[in-house]
Amino acid sequence: MITDKELAFVREALQMAQAAGAQHARATLSVSEEDLVATLDGEVDRVTHCADRSLSLALFVDGRYGSYSTNKLDRESLSGFIRQAVDATRMVAEDPCRTLPDPARCCTDALTGDELGLVDPARLSLTPADRQNIALSASVFSSDKRIISEEGEYSDSVYDSVVMDTNGVCCRHSECSFDYGVEITIESGGQKYSGYWWDASSRLAELDAAACGRKALERAVGQIGSKPARSGRYTAVIDAEMASKMVSPLLRALSGYSIQQHNSFLMDSLGKQLFPEGLTLLDVPRIPGQTCSKYFDSEGVATREAPVIERGVVREYFINTYMANKMQMAPTVEDATRAKVLPWPEPGLDRAEILRRCGRGILVTDFNGGNSNPVTGDFSYGIEGYLFENGRIVRPVSEMLMTGNFLALWARLIAAGDDARPCQSKLVPTLAFAEVDFSG
Amino acid sequence: MRSIDRFGVTEEQLRALVAEGLRDGGDWCDLYFEDTAYHDLLLRDGVVGSGGYHVDYGCGIRVLKGEKTGYAYAETTDFASLKSAARAAGSIAATATSLRGSALQSATQPRGESQDLYPELVAWEGADCKGFVEFLQRIEAGIRARDSRVLKVVAILSYSVSDVMMFNSLGELTSDHRPLGSLSVQVIFRQGDRTENNTVSRSLRMGAEFISEDVLEDLVSRAVAGMDARFEARRPKGGQMSVVMGAGASGILLHEAMGHAFEADFNRKGQSIFTDKMGQRICRPGINILDDGTLPRSRGACNFDDEGVPGQKTYMVTDGVLTSYLHDRISAGYYGVAPTGNGRRESFRYNPIPRMRATYMESGPDGTKEDLIASVRKGIYVDQFANGQVKIGEGDFTFFVKSGFLIERGRLTMPVKDINIIGNGPQALADIEAVAGDLKVDEGTWTCGKEQSVAVSCGIPSVLIRNLTVGGE
Repeated sequence: MITDKELAFVREALQMAQAAGAQHARATLSVSEEDLVATLDGEVDRVTHCADRSLSLALFVDGRYGSYSTNKLDRESLSGFIRQAVDATRMVAEDPCRTLPDPARCCTDALTGDELGLVDPARLSLTPADRQNIALSASVFSSDKRIISEEGEYSDSVYDSVVMDTNGVCCRHSECSFDYGVEITIESGGQKYSGYWWDASSRLAELDAAACGRKALERAVGQIGSKPARSGRYTAVIDAEMASKMVSPLLRALSGYSIQQHNSFLMDSLGKQLFPEGLTLLDVPRIPGQTCSKYFDSEGVATREAPVIERGVVREYFINTYMANKMQMAPTVEDATRAKVLPWPEPGLDRAEILRRCGRGILVTDFNGGNSNPVTGDFSYGIEGYLFENGRIVRPVSEMLMTGNFLALWARLIAAGDDARPCQSKLVPTLAFAEVDFSG
Repeated sequence: MRSIDRFGVTEEQLRALVAEGLRDGGDWCDLYFEDTAYHDLLLRDGVVGSGGYHVDYGCGIRVLKGEKTGYAYAETTDFASLKSAARAAGSIAATATSLRGSALQSATQPRGESQDLYPELVAWEGADCKGFVEFLQRIEAGIRARDSRVLKVVAILSYSVSDVMMFNSLGELTSDHRPLGSLSVQVIFRQGDRTENNTVSRSLRMGAEFISEDVLEDLVSRAVAGMDARFEARRPKGGQMSVVMGAGASGILLHEAMGHAFEADFNRKGQSIFTDKMGQRICRPGINILDDGTLPRSRGACNFDDEGVPGQKTYMVTDGVLTSYLHDRISAGYYGVAPTGNGRRESFRYNPIPRMRATYMESGPDGTKEDLIASVRKGIYVDQFANGQVKIGEGDFTFFVKSGFLIERGRLTMPVKDINIIGNGPQALADIEAVAGDLKVDEGTWTCGKEQSVAVSCGIPSVLIRNLTVGGE
């Protein structure tokens, strides 16, 4: 999507920044296009067409730093914008830790943007009628009289971005995404229950929109008659669809920004065994054909496969150039690109097998709000799901809360499945934990 | 500068674009032009070491056929690009297969008072940026002077000015100038080997006069307030109990538990738990719940909503009876009522949908917060919150409590923190037992995330609710 003319324009923007007084600069041009068809009760409800183009600039001016963006990209507007940005940067304090990354750490193998094979040419041939057919054919509105509302949304998009800096770094990433999500509301016994399901892929042929309606309906029907279970300690099995909620706070706590600001429950954790042997968390950013894979981070630094937590030992903080300078540590990458939890205690476990092994407990299939304290790791989430006994689902539960502390939770890890959904940005499988507090 | 000049279009072109949008048979077309400049300054580790400036400019074009929507936008306002967007949006007319709802109507009735709800007395653009830097430094110095346990302070000043212009197929041309200033402060404290955090914020639709001694003192005092209790706080034993919600930020209860379910799109689609409840009693007499776009300088204030409808005050619950949903033009047409000025959007990139503004409950007759606490044998008092969520169909809502106290035999005892509370909207409304006379509308940086991010506000007097489920150990 990004044309040679636009690439030249990005280089020119860097020159403009230097001419205006910046010693160094980084420019990121992002171009995207999206078409969307939303349906309501099996009929087209909304069609939208979006096309975006914006330029972000990181400016390093007399030892000072500022970040800027604009979508007014005609030469005259951009020139004035950059002059104003350079002047604004001079207003803030000097910070010698603000530097561009060492070019030796930066990505050199993302030249066309499609090295990972994430651009599907099928998108180019899609017509408005094709998009409507995909959205409408996925509808299950007429299949069950209990359905009172079905909202579906199909979209396809292409995203193209290029990062350049005044040290000569230049890397590009292009990616298509085909998405379908549907929310179904049913009525039963005077009560309403809703279920949501979605799928996404960088390949149109791999999108299974038709299955989403059935799955969403199954989830709504499964909640009929739900009520809280008695408060107490239960084995918790977290469905793979929701399990990343147990991992994201760990990744945030390992961010250099959190560590440097003491805003983390994983302070001074590098090299320490803070988690059980069963937890191995990798960053696998370069898997060809998999959505969310990427060769470089927002600074243009090359990503690489690396253990984040290995057999319970913390192996990596996410430290960008700025934090590395501030903390006097070796830089890594800005963030995990594609976190992956490895199966444990053995490969091949799915949700059914994990339920069978756990015997009795609460299967969490959805979260309803809640939060965690980044400093202490304490969390409390609303949940819905199922009570299970002898490995089998007994009845649905809702209006319950799951409360605890992430370090204590992970210390009681029972199993990690082998059933992560590839459409998700984090590859987290079904997880099981012992003795979790539930309130109802 | 006239809005029409800012965007470089003529009235003749506006009419031509509407005609282009309606070419395939659409019923309604509206245009939303936006020019936003957003600035931020970040204080960390004692220095204001980074700043930002972001420009967002463009025009969104919507075409309606019945209740069906076609939407497209352009990031420029040259006529050719806009015409192309109008054509793309207009294609909905050819695809709509089943149409419901009545014709959209004019909504230019006056708000009652014609004054600007959020004048920019001191312009942000061109204001003294060095003064802002010093202001942030004074916030940190003030916080450190009041509590020796302070380890880290992060303070962010952000301010934006949006100029919007709207035109529709009725020929109504409206414009709005929307300043917004926000400050948020995060503090990390250390006591012995324990650390705790506290986050406070203030956000108002006003110009650079926002940078004031009043705001500084408010943020500094709240940033260090209650930290002794925070270090002592524990998780309570979880389960169902009475909850006294302190005045102000507890308005998140109304936003999550009731406000979303009153948004007319959820009701039009049959998804809300309040669908078909119009005119029915849903809580005890004397309770009034409203959504107000007319509070001067509030984050939820709207001179006009994003469909050009004048800002107004909407009673959703009057004396305990459901009296109105929150409408955009589509739902108003469907229900045959006037739009309520709730058609809002994140930016020109999004079509407007029914959204809250400042949602609050009016003061009640049941005395003071202390009276409510004294009436509870065993329960919990909560006063600071982080976030909330609701499941529209089921009505199950949650909100995350940053701090509060156990209530035992009518008195506040052990401090508590970091717990989620869950309940069911209609049941919680029915379980409101007492409403104090101390309504307060919170001025924090509340942002609602229903499909799009929109600035809102919320408020409530102290209320006593029986039987909410509190997370615990």
